[in-house]
Amino acid sequence: MKSSLVGQVVILAALALLPAAGEAIYFRDKISWRSAIAPSEMVTVDQARGWGDTAIWVDARPEDEFANDHVPGAISLNEDRWNELLPQFLAVWAPGKKIIVYCSSLSCNASREVAHRLRKEAQLADVFVLEGGWEAWMKKNR
Amino acid sequence: MKQTSNIEHRTSNIELPSDVGSLGVWRFLWRILDFAVAGIFIYAGALKALDPVQFASDIDNYKILPWPVSVALAFYLPWLEIFCALGLVFRFLCRGALSILTASILVFTLATIAAKIRGLDITCGCFGHASQNWSFPSHLATNLAILAALLALLFKVTSRNRLQNLV
Repeated sequence: MKSSLVGQVVILAALALLPAAGEAIYFRDKISWRSAIAPSEMVTVDQARGWGDTAIWVDARPEDEFANDHVPGAISLNEDRWNELLPQFLAVWAPGKKIIVYCSSLSCNASREVAHRLRKEAQLADVFVLEGGWEAWMKKNR
Repeated sequence: MKQTSNIEHRTSNIELPSDVGSLGVWRFLWRILDFAVAGIFIYAGALKALDPVQFASDIDNYKILPWPVSVALAFYLPWLEIFCALGLVFRFLCRGALSILTASILVFTLATIAAKIRGLDITCGCFGHASQNWSFPSHLATNLAILAALLALLFKVTSRNRLQNLV
């Protein structure tokens, strides 16, 4: 097929759009466009509050932000002092309890990283990330 | 004089079949390279298209693009690779396909080197789960080998087009 290089590139790029769009629709429940966390691992403020005492809150923000204010009863566990803070968290944790990790806002990664490490390194199940983080909590509790 | 011309004519007649034969062999070898490169990209594209969640996470690990862009690329790039590879196999939009594949492997190779320099421990995601335990040197060597094959094919297609335009 004779056409200019740009023309060929545009045709191929357009062709690939069709199956890609189909796949995006097919996988819409398995991947979130807003956050790297799977929808099944996210929890909203309302859902989390509904869990009451069966959940432990984990604050993944830096120490000074935790000291400034935090969700009542939350435990500080951030990546900077992971080795020091993890034993303190495990002392409070009990089997069957849900873990809700939060950081500053929707765009922060700390809660995702801490949740990932709790699942992988501490081998804990039922670890959730709070959608919207501390910012969302504050909006609901103002 | 007449005799010399006959000898020359005969000699050229004798050499002709072997030239045609070697041309055929070269054409066959180029075609093998076409299929080998296309096969690699169809395999890599299919693996990633089957697990876009993992591929989005692999792209995100480079810490270059925002998450929504990583997701969009995870859905789009595997199919672009597959279509370009099919273009190579069926000789359809060949120059465009080779240009896209060369650009994409070049971008991924540079991103991998940049990630290594920044101290990020990443998996390239080039071959889905199959490439998760690859070391940086083997990852780089594979990418450079594919890049060399693509550049050779691109050079061949471009020079053939130039020759056709001259004729």
